[in-house]
Amino acid sequence: MGPQHPSTHGVLRVILKLDGEKVIGTECVIGYLHRGVEKIAENRTYTMFAPYVDRMDYIAAISNGLGYCLAVEKLLKVEAPPRAQVVRVILTELNRIASHLFWLGTHALDIGAITPLFYTLREREEILKIFEDYCGARLTTHAFRIGGLQYEVHDGLERQVKDFCDYIVPKIDEYEELLTNNRIWVERLKGVGILTADECKQFGVTGPVLRAAGVQWDLRKAQPYSGYEKYDFDVPIAHGADTYDRYVVRMLEMRQCVRILRQAVEGIPEGPILAKVGKVIKPAAGEAYVSIEAPKGELGYFIVSDGSTQPYRLRVRPPSLINLQALDRMVRGGLVADVVAIIGTLDIVLGEVDR
Amino acid sequence: MKKFLRTIFLVDLLQGLWVTFRNQHPKHIYTEQYPAERPKVAERYRGAPRLNINPDNGETLCIACNLCALACPENLIVVTSERNEQTRRKELTEFTYDTSRCMFCGLCEDACPVDALELTQDFELATYTRDGLIWDRQLLEEGPKPTPYRF
Amino acid sequence: MAEQEKPEGGAKPPAGGHAPPKPPPGMAATPWEGELVNDVKRQFGAQILEASSYLDQNFFVVAPEAVISLLEFLRLEADFDYLVDLTAAHYPDRENQFDLFYILYSFARNERIRVKTSIAETATPSTAVGVHLTADWLEREVFDMFGIRFDGHPNMTRLLLPEDWQGYPLRKQKTLIDMDNRWVQENLGIESGQ
Repeated sequence: MGPQHPSTHGVLRVILKLDGEKVIGTECVIGYLHRGVEKIAENRTYTMFAPYVDRMDYIAAISNGLGYCLAVEKLLKVEAPPRAQVVRVILTELNRIASHLFWLGTHALDIGAITPLFYTLREREEILKIFEDYCGARLTTHAFRIGGLQYEVHDGLERQVKDFCDYIVPKIDEYEELLTNNRIWVERLKGVGILTADECKQFGVTGPVLRAAGVQWDLRKAQPYSGYEKYDFDVPIAHGADTYDRYVVRMLEMRQCVRILRQAVEGIPEGPILAKVGKVIKPAAGEAYVSIEAPKGELGYFIVSDGSTQPYRLRVRPPSLINLQALDRMVRGGLVADVVAIIGTLDIVLGEVDR
Repeated sequence: MKKFLRTIFLVDLLQGLWVTFRNQHPKHIYTEQYPAERPKVAERYRGAPRLNINPDNGETLCIACNLCALACPENLIVVTSERNEQTRRKELTEFTYDTSRCMFCGLCEDACPVDALELTQDFELATYTRDGLIWDRQLLEEGPKPTPYRF
Repeated sequence: MAEQEKPEGGAKPPAGGHAPPKPPPGMAATPWEGELVNDVKRQFGAQILEASSYLDQNFFVVAPEAVISLLEFLRLEADFDYLVDLTAAHYPDRENQFDLFYILYSFARNERIRVKTSIAETATPSTAVGVHLTADWLEREVFDMFGIRFDGHPNMTRLLLPEDWQGYPLRKQKTLIDMDNRWVQENLGIESGQ
């Protein structure tokens, strides 16, 4: 199943061992999109590296930026001011909805339902307009700076976010009307790609895949960062651990994101947007690992600093790579069409897998 | 019984089809007819770079401080300057900007202390040759001139 | 009170000039006390070289032979059942050139710890695949980027780079400019990837 395939979400090559139509083994060949981001990091200063980070998980670029800024801020022992934290939460949650919308569109397209793609991308346009108004770019946003934000909140952000929240909830209902009870959808997805909670933990799989297996674990609740402890939201779980349950979990997550957005946009506190970090960023020597709940799973940054302006070693823990390892276990005994469904449900982005 | 009827009469599939038909109404058309109507981009859009000119006396605002070149992650800005003996200041002679490797990250715009270098809202930067993407000072000050289409 | 702890290997004075990067000076880590540390020290004794904490992140520094048994102990006794990440760093001026980091997390305790060890260039540490299944591709990536072979791994091949690529990119002696262009010239017919 070669690298040029419309359903593999990037350039992923999966070598399938087939017995008739049943799959008995797989082997993933990755590395087609390897750009050596970790090596580049050793030659750039901390501020200069921030635009590169967006290009890993390019569907949800703002989470990458947030994780990176949080990791460097931890090494610098500074914390972003409250206003910056609230705006970061707003952008990150919008980003999560955008990522899940894109996931829904492409996953439905893989299964064969072509119409949700148009609708989800139309909704995603609204989010990208907000990003464009704020930081000037839609996809590779470079929205956050180390220590806070660069740009002051543009006029009308609150209005736009509130309008968006009102706009998106009926649309999510519409997608559910289109897909959830649809017998074709249910037949294609139920019982496919089961990964129980124990297997998830063994493989290190996180994110909606783990939550669909019944483990109520979300880094925003377990180890809150950037002010998430102030917001009231649920962590949806499901118990079937199959592809249909992951769909249900992600739809519920989108609704919870809207809930967080409504709370966050209520009171954006006044104040500075950038902590005092100075022009040259030179953290003390040491190591730190910081991870956030990206839409795809646990995205972690491990930075080893040697006291200079360039990181000594920067490691990105990509959720898509670790989730992709579980592909082998999930497709055993399924059909070739199920492989496509399972790759879609794992929600991988090859930019992150290969870095 | 109800479930049987729902299955026979394809109720769930028709429900989905009704959503699609609802969206066929002309008011839902979302397509932008691109070359005829250009999209409105945001004010802060990071597009083509431009060297600003002081509107009063027509001179460039750039003071040749080289901060943009230092801030660029890809090292694609080259600023050459010469020292003007009369005013004892540096004057800009050449400014080269390589848009082929540019990420449009905005770090150069953030670094400029006098707002001379600015990323504008132009996004139509295509050229036929790779060398056409290396912009010199004149192109930077005027901006790219894409061919407008006439229908 | 914070005490200055130097990691094993020491902080060498800077070499001057541009060529090899300096090894990181010692980080200001504070010693880590706790029940888990006592259990681990009781079990492993002298093989635990250090148990410290920096920026509220706890880590053990252990001798290379003890790593796998420590991971097993942590998984079975202390509920650290999730291997978050496995990575390495290269310090070319040190005797034990590579540092291996294992980051572990426990769902039950909601705690994250690191296990750090230093190995020589030609050492082959044993694989962690028996303890955590995640280590499969993570070790392949460490091999791909650094050249550290893991003993007992079922499929020790390159993960991200092509199979016949020579060299190990994330080692410090290769800068971006003198990366191996041979593969690109042979297979893609272009002069250089840069």
